[in-house]
Formats: sequence, structure tokens, C-alpha cells
Amino acid sequence: MIKDLFRKRYHTLPVSETEGKEPEVPAGLWRKCNKCGKAIYTEDVIRNHYICPKCHGYFRVHAYRRVESLADTGTFTEWDRELPFSNPLSFPGYEKKWKDVQARTSLNEAVVTGTAEIQGYKTVLGVMDARFFMGSMGHNVGEKITRAVERATKEHLPVILFTCSGGARMQEGIISLMQMTKTSAALKRHSDAGLLSVIVLTDPTTGGVTASFAMLGDIILAEPNALIGFAGPRVIEQTIRQKLPAGFQRAEFQVEHGFVDAIVKREDMKETLGRILALHQTGKKPISDVNGVSSEDSYADRQDNGGASAWDRVQISRMAERPTGLDYIQELFTDFMELHGDRCFKDDGAVVGGIARFHGLPVTVIAQQKGKNTRDNIVRNFGMPSPDGYRKALRLMKEAEKFGRPVICFVDTPGAFCGLEAEERGQGEAIARNLFELSGLGVPVLSIVIGEGGSGGALAMATANEVWMLENAIYSILSPEGFASILWKDAARAADAAGVMKITAADLLKLGVIEAVIREETPASLETLPVLCQDMDVRIRRFLQTYGSMSRKELADHRYERFRAF
Amino acid sequence: MFHKILIANRGEIAVRIIRACREMGIATVAVYSEADKDSLHAMLADEAICIGPAPSSDSYLNMESILSATVATKADAIHPGFGFLSENSKFVTLCQKCNITFIGPPADVMDRMGNKSEARNTMVAAGVPVVPGTKDPIHDVETGKRMAEEIGYPIMIKAASGGGGKGMRIARGPEEFEANFLNAQRESVSGFSDDTMYLERYVERPRHIEFQILADTHGNVVHLGERDCSIQRRHQKLIEESPCAVLSDSLRAEMGEAAVKAAKAAGYVNAGTIEFLLDSQNRYYFIEMNTRIQVEHGVTEMVTGLDLIKEQIRIAAGEPLSFSQEDVVIRGHAIECRINAEDPSRHFMPCPGTITNLHLPGGNGVRVDSAIYSGYQIPPYYDSMIGKLIVHDIDRPSAIRKMLSALGEVIVEGVNTNVDFQFAILENENFQSGHTDTGFIEENFDD
Repeated sequence: MIKDLFRKRYHTLPVSETEGKEPEVPAGLWRKCNKCGKAIYTEDVIRNHYICPKCHGYFRVHAYRRVESLADTGTFTEWDRELPFSNPLSFPGYEKKWKDVQARTSLNEAVVTGTAEIQGYKTVLGVMDARFFMGSMGHNVGEKITRAVERATKEHLPVILFTCSGGARMQEGIISLMQMTKTSAALKRHSDAGLLSVIVLTDPTTGGVTASFAMLGDIILAEPNALIGFAGPRVIEQTIRQKLPAGFQRAEFQVEHGFVDAIVKREDMKETLGRILALHQTGKKPISDVNGVSSEDSYADRQDNGGASAWDRVQISRMAERPTGLDYIQELFTDFMELHGDRCFKDDGAVVGGIARFHGLPVTVIAQQKGKNTRDNIVRNFGMPSPDGYRKALRLMKEAEKFGRPVICFVDTPGAFCGLEAEERGQGEAIARNLFELSGLGVPVLSIVIGEGGSGGALAMATANEVWMLENAIYSILSPEGFASILWKDAARAADAAGVMKITAADLLKLGVIEAVIREETPASLETLPVLCQDMDVRIRRFLQTYGSMSRKELADHRYERFRAF
Repeated sequence: MFHKILIANRGEIAVRIIRACREMGIATVAVYSEADKDSLHAMLADEAICIGPAPSSDSYLNMESILSATVATKADAIHPGFGFLSENSKFVTLCQKCNITFIGPPADVMDRMGNKSEARNTMVAAGVPVVPGTKDPIHDVETGKRMAEEIGYPIMIKAASGGGGKGMRIARGPEEFEANFLNAQRESVSGFSDDTMYLERYVERPRHIEFQILADTHGNVVHLGERDCSIQRRHQKLIEESPCAVLSDSLRAEMGEAAVKAAKAAGYVNAGTIEFLLDSQNRYYFIEMNTRIQVEHGVTEMVTGLDLIKEQIRIAAGEPLSFSQEDVVIRGHAIECRINAEDPSRHFMPCPGTITNLHLPGGNGVRVDSAIYSGYQIPPYYDSMIGKLIVHDIDRPSAIRKMLSALGEVIVEGVNTNVDFQFAILENENFQSGHTDTGFIEENFDD
């Protein structure tokens, strides 16, 4: 090694001859990320929404910092800042600890509540803070949240609550447990008044908070990777003596299992909440006020059969190039915000739904979604909904009813999913429940069959005031293959079956099963989509003008009579 | 004066800084990545600290590791060299917070000069010429034509959303304007759905001329003449020389004054470079300022007799410049060839590997700045430059002859180098006669 051969014959200045202070890293300049363990520059973290710039892990945010990041400048007014100390069990040492935590955190309790404007929309806002007894809910937390929700009900305001809590506060025992019902009941009254509640689950949200107000929002959002669950993972592992899988109880797990509508990154949170508030503004114009149809707006009213046979149309309706539900949603609507989950078991990829705007009017849109390729189809299950898909659709329809939004469905399914899990979770019940509930829904419902309308699986999303079909769509009691196999014991005679089943749009129009056929000059494709949607756009406006002026009862009666006639 | 300096860099520039420190009696701390543990800079320094794994982002760009190493070794200043953290204003701020002197300009000046439009505005305000162009977007040909007259031909017509030559046209005179404007605009509308256009004076066949300046904390600013860095391949400089073959003494004085004015306008401190484009009619335009020591600082040192690294350290220590503009005399001519471990026959692909045999030239007026040695393994993670060969002689022809002689002695076995390509440039007639501009490589050599 040449290093050992170098000779050092030069002299360096002694330290004493130099002036100035020694270098040192001031306290707090760097901090260690508790997720990746790397050193990070504190100012970077603050500028980056309290997200680690290296591993992108989320740090917990102090309640007042959170309020600052959400509320329009100067619009936040805090409510019930100080409540007297509550110690229902006279728990020894509690008061001293409570005061110590107060002094350390400059917080009065584990939640901050008040009113604020977010992107100009007034709302009630509650934010929990993990530094205060792990955000646990005792009397004061329950009381502050309940008062905030009650006041929101009284003042007709939406409620947004950011949860961050280990659960009930142990020091207050059974009185903490009572807060769960107290807060839930307040939200019930708020909801019954037709008002919006949005919950944002942040890391961690567990125990009695999860089992009460945290799961009761009309819309439930979560921050990425937040721990969300009832029993904590450690308790579960100790009880069942098994190692839990990676990702268990994280926000992404909860979306997959149907309990969270969407994961929202911190940098997008304010904008997302602003959009949700905008979509739920009360005092909006009546539905029938949607952009009127004028004499210039026209659509092809010919129902030209074009010579294609029923079997041709079956095959066209199944073509992989055919636009899917999401293609129509993107083309016809703006501001689409997808909401996930059935709040029971799963988020079904075969059904997509959410809120969007149609000519500015908030509407609920739901579509059966086929994949564009094999990988996509694994997520979409080839457009065959599971019970969870129908339950998600019903949940979104009920929300639409609560907020007076018309429902527009796109039907495109070979049929409801046929499988073990589907039966275990009640496929029949799920379809039946949709027919039952949809028949009485108090808002206009429109269904458009864009591809395959496979049996009960289609009907569960076509119990509408009007049903339309694209010219090359089909709608039937079951597939022609199934029909041939049952009646003639030969699935190969599907083409013959198609010929006699009356499954084309033209046939069904004659039978009165549908109200309109939307002409396809050439089989629908992404290229012809804009033209098809122009046609649909005019028709939908006309539909909304007609049905938008009906009362809830008139709409339900109309739907009742529509199906009563068969 | 500092008693110990940490060098936050690697390779030949780290060695160059360590040598300057040793001569000044300042102790040195080298930092090195895991891939550089056998590197010369780590061996030559009084102390050496490993700051992380091979990738630069984990080592030479890892501010926290470097600051920790500085605190641990009680070094009172950091020299950043060039590249890596040398133009990172956040790092400068952090050094200041940790009570460490950053050898370079203050963070705010660095920020101001790093922002292209702000730098341009600063220069316009100081009366330093910039490439004339339109400030407001243009949508129609009549306005465009009027603006073109104001700016002066030839004119570069550029689409606001353009890129890759699309929506770009050159109009050499008013007769060419309308057709070219409309064509460029049509391309932009069809390609980017945007009819917004900008105009800029087209600087034809420019030379890249940069002025070295030194500014101390007492308000003294001097320039040390220019470097002609027109020999570039894909914006990578290959040969630099000082002085420029075609600059008259009066133009040098004028441009140097502009450079000093620019540095003063920026509130600049320490060593920096003002870059200009010089067109064939000797019109010059400020393009940007480099807020660091540069690779090619050696040629300026050879013609001025100054040591720029030592000057940087003295300025950072708060000392005033020991000379004034009148004391700066440019003597003779210096040329630098960058020696890269790369393969010119395979699109100049980097060639890391072990150096099995090495001989480097020497003699009167020959200088080699390098960090390689026989047996050295060139790691694949960093820049492919392995050294700089600099020669100094009484005039340009003598310097070229000296360089040709010295290049012939460069023996680097085990890896491919660009030495043969450097020969080809030096032997090119256009180069020898001083007919060079930034298009030189493209025009004279196939890639």
C-alpha cells in the first residue's frame, strides 16, 4: 500500500493558534426517522407535511399543526378549549399526570374542536392528538366531540374528524366506554338531519374510537399506512398465538376489506376535503335545473338493426376493445372521486362507484367494470361482481339518496360471480337486497347497459326509472350458452339460443323492458366513445329534467309501476 | 486562519485541495465512500473518514454524514470542491448552523445565481449584456415581426411548450421571419396544442468564454482573465485554454469589467465564474454564473501564477485579497486536456477498471492533476475523469506543441482513455489556427 510509503514532513498549525468556536450540530437540527432510522433534516420534515423525505413514512402531526395545514388562513375558531378535569373513578395519580401532560404538550385534551373553512367551505373540524394520553377518549374527549357534532347539527354544518387514538381512556373506566355511544348517537342525529360527516383515520386509530365515531362517516378516508383496527395487533398475536401478516390492519388492508373509501396522501388532503365539501353543498339547485336540452341538442333516434344477428351482437358485446364502465365515467362526467368498500368485508374490483359531476351537478355513478387485459381482469374478476360489489353499490346508492344525488349505473357483466366465497357471503341475498332497496330509492335512477347484461347480476343494478341499452348490448335471463345447456343440454347451440331468447336492444325495446336504444354507427370502441357519449349526454340531461322534478314518492312509485307492469 | 479543513469531495480535486492545505499548514480530513477506501485523497489526508456506501447519494451527497464527520474531527471549515454539494445552498445553510465555514459563497447568493431567470434579471439590472429576447409571449406573426426587429437578426423562434427541436426555427433576416414563425407555430399547435411563441437572438457559432473572478468579504472583486472552453462534446468540456485565441486586450478588459460588475451585482464572495457566449462579431452575452471552483481552474493558475484554492481558503477565513486588478498579469498560454477513462470508439462509454501500468509526463511547464496511481481501481460509481494534463508556454503554438509532446507520454494501461481523441483535436487544423466554437467537435468528428 503506497499510503505507508508517503512521508509527512510538513507542519500544521497548532489548534491554539486558531480562533473561533468548535463546530457542533445544534440540537434539533437533525432528527432520526423512527421508521427508516435515517437522520433527516428537521426543516425538510416540516416543509414536507411531516413526512420523512427518505422513506416517505408519515410522522404523527400535532393537532394544531394539522388544523393549520387544513383550515384556510385565519378561519379556525376553537370551541370548548378548556373543560374542567374529569376523574369519575377518582383514579389515583390521574390528575397529576393529566396536568403534566397538559404542561408538556400545551394541549388541554386529546382532541381540538372548532369551526373552520376549507377551501372556502365552512365545516366543523375535530382533530385528535396522540401526545395526550395516546389520544385516548375519556369524558372530555367524548364531550368535546359530541358538543361539536351537536352544534354542527344545529347549525347545519358538515363534520370532519381526524382520528388518532389508542381507544378508551383507562383511567376513566366505564365512563370512557359510555363515550362511544354518546359520540355515535350524536353522529346519528347529525346524519338523520341529512348532513355530511367525513372521518379521516390517521395512525393509529384503534379500540373504542374505531368501534364508535371513527367508523361512522359518510365518507371515511385514511392516511397511507395508518394502523387502523379494533384490537391492537399485539393483543391479537398474544391471543391467537400467531404471527400476523405484513400490512395487517394498515390503511391499505382496510381499503381492501371495504372499510375505507380512499387513502389520501397528506399533501392532497386539503384539496380532497375541499372537493368533498363542494360536492355536498346544501341549498344547491334542483336536479331538473341541469343544463337544459335545446333544439340544437339531438341524438340519433333510429333503432337500425343493421342486419347483425343476435349472436353477432352477443359477440360484439363481449369484445375486449369495447369501452368499459370507467371509460364512460371519464368521458361523461367530471371530478370523479372513487369511493371504495362495502363496509362489511371487501372492496369488490368488479364494481366501481363514486361521486362525480354531470354538467356541474353532483351525481352518484356506479359501474360494473371489466378488465382490459388479464392482469386487470384479475382485479376486476372479469366484471363478475361478488356480494361485496352489490353491497358497495347499495351503500353508495343509499348515500346518494341521503344527499339527493341522482344515481347513474353502467351495466356490463357476464353475471354475478359464481363461486364458493360468493355463496358463503350471500350472493342471492345481496342481489335481492338491492332489488328491495332500489325499488324504493328516493332519487332518480338510470341504468345503461353498455355490454353484457347478465341476468340477476345485471338486474341488481338495473332496478331503475329507465333502462337504456347500447345497440350492440345484450340483456338476458342468462347467457345463451347457459340457456342452450339447460333447455337443449348442449351449450354449443348458443347461437340458436341467442336467436330465440330476445336479448338484443331492439327486441327488449319492443318488449318494453328498456326505454331507449343508443345507436352504434360502428361497434362501440374508444374511438367512437366521444360520439356515443355526446348522444348519451343529451339523453341524460333530458332524463334528469324529467325525473329531477319528481318527489321522492313519485320516483319510487314510478319505479314500482315500471316493474309492476311485467 | 483555519486549523483543519474537511474536503467534501473525491478524486483529483480532493487531492488538489489537500495539497494546498498542506502547503498552508492546515490539517486535512478526507471523507470517502466504501468504494473509495483505497483512493489517493483518503491516503494523503491527515485523517480520513468513511461516510457511507458507494452511491453518491449515500456518501458524497449525504449532508448529515459529512457534517457529523466535520464535528467529530473538529474541522472548522469544509471545502466542497466541484460537483456533489458544491452548489447546494441548503448544505451551506447547514454548515453555518453547525458553526462550520463553507469555503464558497453564502447560501443566498448561491440561490440567486442558481435561478436562471433571477440571475438574468440581476445581470440586466447591472447593465451586463444578456442574450436579447422577448419577455412576453407572442401569439401572432405581426407582433413577432415587430419584436424581431427590436431584438435584431438572426432570430431564434421558439415554442413555449416546445422541446427536442420541435417548434423551433431560425430566421436569418426579416424576409425569412413570417414563414418560419408560422411553421414553428403550426408545429407547436399540432404537437402541444399551444400557439405561444418566444423570440431570442440566435447566437451563431458562439465561443464559450468564461471569466474567473475572486471576491473577498471586504468588497474587493478582481477578474483573472478568461478561459476558452469551446471544445465540448455534448456539453462536456474536453479542452480549456487561457487566454482565448481571438480575444483582443481591449475586449478582454471590457468583458472582464462586465464580469466584475456581474459579481458585484450578485453580491458575490469567493471564487466564481461568469460564463459568456461570444459570437463571431465579438458580441458577448452573459449566460450563467458558476458559484464554485471549476475543473479547469488550473489554466488560469498557470497564466496568472496564483493558487486559486489557497485564495479561496484565505477569502473564506476573512482575509482581504493581497493583490488588485492591476497586479494581475496574464503570462503566456496554458492548455488543459481532460483525461477520461472512457472509450471514444464506443460512444465514449465510461471504462472503469484497474490501472495496471502508469506513466505520466513531466518537465518544464507540464502539470498533472490526478488521483490515480499504478494499481488503482477506478470505481464505476463516479465521474470518468481520471486526471487533467495542463501545459504552459510562451504562446499558443508553443503550448500546443508542448501538449502534443506531453500527451505522448501519457501511458494508462488497464483501462481505455480518450488520449487518442485529444491528440486528434490538437492536430486538427481548425483547432491549431484557433477557428473553434462550441460546434467544433460536432463538425470535425463523427460520433
